[in-house]
Amino acid sequence: LKREIKKIISAVWVGIICLVFSSRLSTMKAASICPNDQTGCHLLPLANLFDRVIQHSARMHGISDDLHSEFELYFLPSKNQIGRVSRNCHTSTILTPNGKENAQRIAREELAEIILKLLVAWRDPLWHFHQSMSQHDEFTNFSSNKSLEMSDMVHELRKGVLKVVEKMQMLGIISNSVGDTGSPEALLTSDSAEWRFMKDYDLLYCFRRDSNKIQNYLKILKCRIVPKHGC
Amino acid sequence: MIGLLCCASLLFLLTSLFIGCFKLLILAPVEPHFTECMSRDLETFRCWWSPGTFHNLSSPEELRVFYLKRNSPSSEWKECPEYSHLNRECFFDANHTSIWIPYCLQLRGQNNITYFNEDDCFSVENIVRPDPPVSLNWTLLIVSPSGLSYDVMVSWEPPPSADVSTGWMRIEYEIQYRERNATTWEALETQPHTQQTIYGLQAGTEYEVHIRTKMKGFPKFGDFSDSIFVKVTEIPLRESAVLLTLVLTFGVAGILILIMLIVVSHQQRLMMILLPPVPAPKIKGIDSELLKKGKLEELDFILNGGGLGGLPTYISDYYQDEPWVEFIEVDEEDADCGEKEDQKSSDTQRLLGLPQRSVGCFSADSHPDDDSGRASCYDTDLSEQDTHLLAASLLPGQPEDEEAFLHPDEKAPASETNKSPLIQTESEGKPTWINTDLYAQVSNVMPSGGVVLSPGQQLRIQENTEKESQKKGTLGEDTSKLNKPQFQLLVVDPDGSGYTSEITARQISTPPSSLVPGEGYQTIYPQPMETKPAAPSEPNQSPYILPDSPQTRLFAPVADYTVVQELDTHQSLLLNLPTQQPPPPCLPQHPLKAPVAIGYVTPDLLGNLSS
Repeated sequence: LKREIKKIISAVWVGIICLVFSSRLSTMKAASICPNDQTGCHLLPLANLFDRVIQHSARMHGISDDLHSEFELYFLPSKNQIGRVSRNCHTSTILTPNGKENAQRIAREELAEIILKLLVAWRDPLWHFHQSMSQHDEFTNFSSNKSLEMSDMVHELRKGVLKVVEKMQMLGIISNSVGDTGSPEALLTSDSAEWRFMKDYDLLYCFRRDSNKIQNYLKILKCRIVPKHGC
Repeated sequence: MIGLLCCASLLFLLTSLFIGCFKLLILAPVEPHFTECMSRDLETFRCWWSPGTFHNLSSPEELRVFYLKRNSPSSEWKECPEYSHLNRECFFDANHTSIWIPYCLQLRGQNNITYFNEDDCFSVENIVRPDPPVSLNWTLLIVSPSGLSYDVMVSWEPPPSADVSTGWMRIEYEIQYRERNATTWEALETQPHTQQTIYGLQAGTEYEVHIRTKMKGFPKFGDFSDSIFVKVTEIPLRESAVLLTLVLTFGVAGILILIMLIVVSHQQRLMMILLPPVPAPKIKGIDSELLKKGKLEELDFILNGGGLGGLPTYISDYYQDEPWVEFIEVDEEDADCGEKEDQKSSDTQRLLGLPQRSVGCFSADSHPDDDSGRASCYDTDLSEQDTHLLAASLLPGQPEDEEAFLHPDEKAPASETNKSPLIQTESEGKPTWINTDLYAQVSNVMPSGGVVLSPGQQLRIQENTEKESQKKGTLGEDTSKLNKPQFQLLVVDPDGSGYTSEITARQISTPPSSLVPGEGYQTIYPQPMETKPAAPSEPNQSPYILPDSPQTRLFAPVADYTVVQELDTHQSLLLNLPTQQPPPPCLPQHPLKAPVAIGYVTPDLLGNLSS
């Protein structure tokens, strides 16, 4: 009998605590969106979206950096992290702004499109890279997991950027010309064979560079569109 | 001679080779090369070179820097856009800087001698070393109560050269601090915010703090910033304050401990107050009226298996697989026998005396071994299987007075009023019944399966014997006494050689009036054996002996245990009191269908009963 009573009391406590927390959470939710500033209120979710996407791209770049360093162990480490000059990435065909001014000068739609193009271009090569990595025994599970994570992140990031673009189009910030350029067939027809010939190390080097590009472009885009929210 | 010459020449050659190699390796002049290329803001960069140890270079201007941007296959070498010959530096401004594109640099001297190294190729984002932060200052966060240590918040501004506001560069900061006279620096974790707390600095010691930056995701750190000095003088606390805090803390702790002790010691009371006990459930079959009247014996009877909600079920399950456990059945005639005497009116008596009983008192069980004491009148055609019931058999530990059981009829009731149980020697090797109550407490279980009973409530039986004898003849007529359950003790001999002999349940004809459907249990009035033939017609009454005891005396002989007499139509167990009827002589035995165990009904028995 005592045990039953104790069970009941503990259940009641748990219920009370849950209620308290849920009420807290709900109040927090209610209070977070759109504080006093009403004019810029509709931009807040967009800024949040941007932040999330930028964080995502930063993490992607971090992983690519780690993998690249690991690969360098198999090769002679170069002084400035360039071992060969003959490297040519398959994304070289995509015209990207090479400096801050250039990135700030081009149209926002173009910048968004470039980002999407880059993300699309890397989807298949990273997947194949992961496949080839998992087959080689000399790579640790750690590296294999990272390559898979990288491949997934490209996927997720592309979806995230598409959402941001959608939101921007909805808010009327950019025109509707930015479509889903993610039809990979269109891109890959031109250089479908190129990335297959790239060696793993070169591929990692290229992706590291491109992930940094994506990161920078996203940040610049955010600070151009929603400059007040943490730039 | 020639050999010597040859050897000498060989030696000379070798030494010259060695010297030449040595010179080449060690003393070879270093060609002009680049020492470092660095960018501060990811928009411009500069490279420094050194002329090496070539002597034929007269002036620094002779070396020229050429670079190549590998962004197209048709790129060509271009000269450095901005020289600073004083520093031997080549500066690339924003117009000439492209990020994410490999640059290669080479030095060219006179006569177009080029000194080019593959390692001098890079991308600008990989050579970024941001400037250190500016405007460092610190504020005191908090001092520990003892005044010995304190925490400090250091804040700063990002380097002006790094374009953090547009997000072009994402910078992380690393703080390092050390004591004034220490040699090693303590480094905190790199983080992107422009302020950080340093914990645990000692008062009275001066600390030196500096910060450096790096790009997020890239490994190269910039230079350290200028150091700032942090110092907090010791504040001697008033001793009284310290004492007061100590006293307060200890006092509070002591009070808490006291409260805990009180709570723990009076746990029960507190539990009662906070969580009052839930009233116990009503036991099925027990009439609360009985409780009020104080019929404790009846309660005992019920609780021990009189009603269906009693204990018996589990015991029957428990003993289901134990072949040695048998139910002892008390015959109706046994009750009759017991009616005369106090002892015999008790169930334990019957229990004990079953194998020893004379003709009139007990029905012999199926064991042929237990023939002693069995009269010829008793049927021996009772199947053993029917009579063997699985239950905890109550084995009397004390032998009974054999004579008393053997000749119950002959003895006058008064003579049987033994106040104490007669213990019979177990010379026969048979379990004997002591003149104890019908229900006795099991004091021990023998390995062979018998049960040792302890003397029961003999006194109660003594009291009631007189009354029982008086009301002998009134049982059948008194319907009001149907309320009280009557029961008989059924003792089962586990294996025939045990302590108790099996007593086949006597068929007892219960008068229809004795059945009270409204009760949870029914009382079966003991009746003379003459009416037995009529009894079998009623299926639920056939195998049982109905003790003929007055209603008031129903519970008298029952001390702690009750016997399930039979099942009635309502599937309730009928408990019979030991009857005080005189055992009818040579009554025809009704074939026992299913003897009922003491207080327990096994499933198979149940089936037999109900069938």
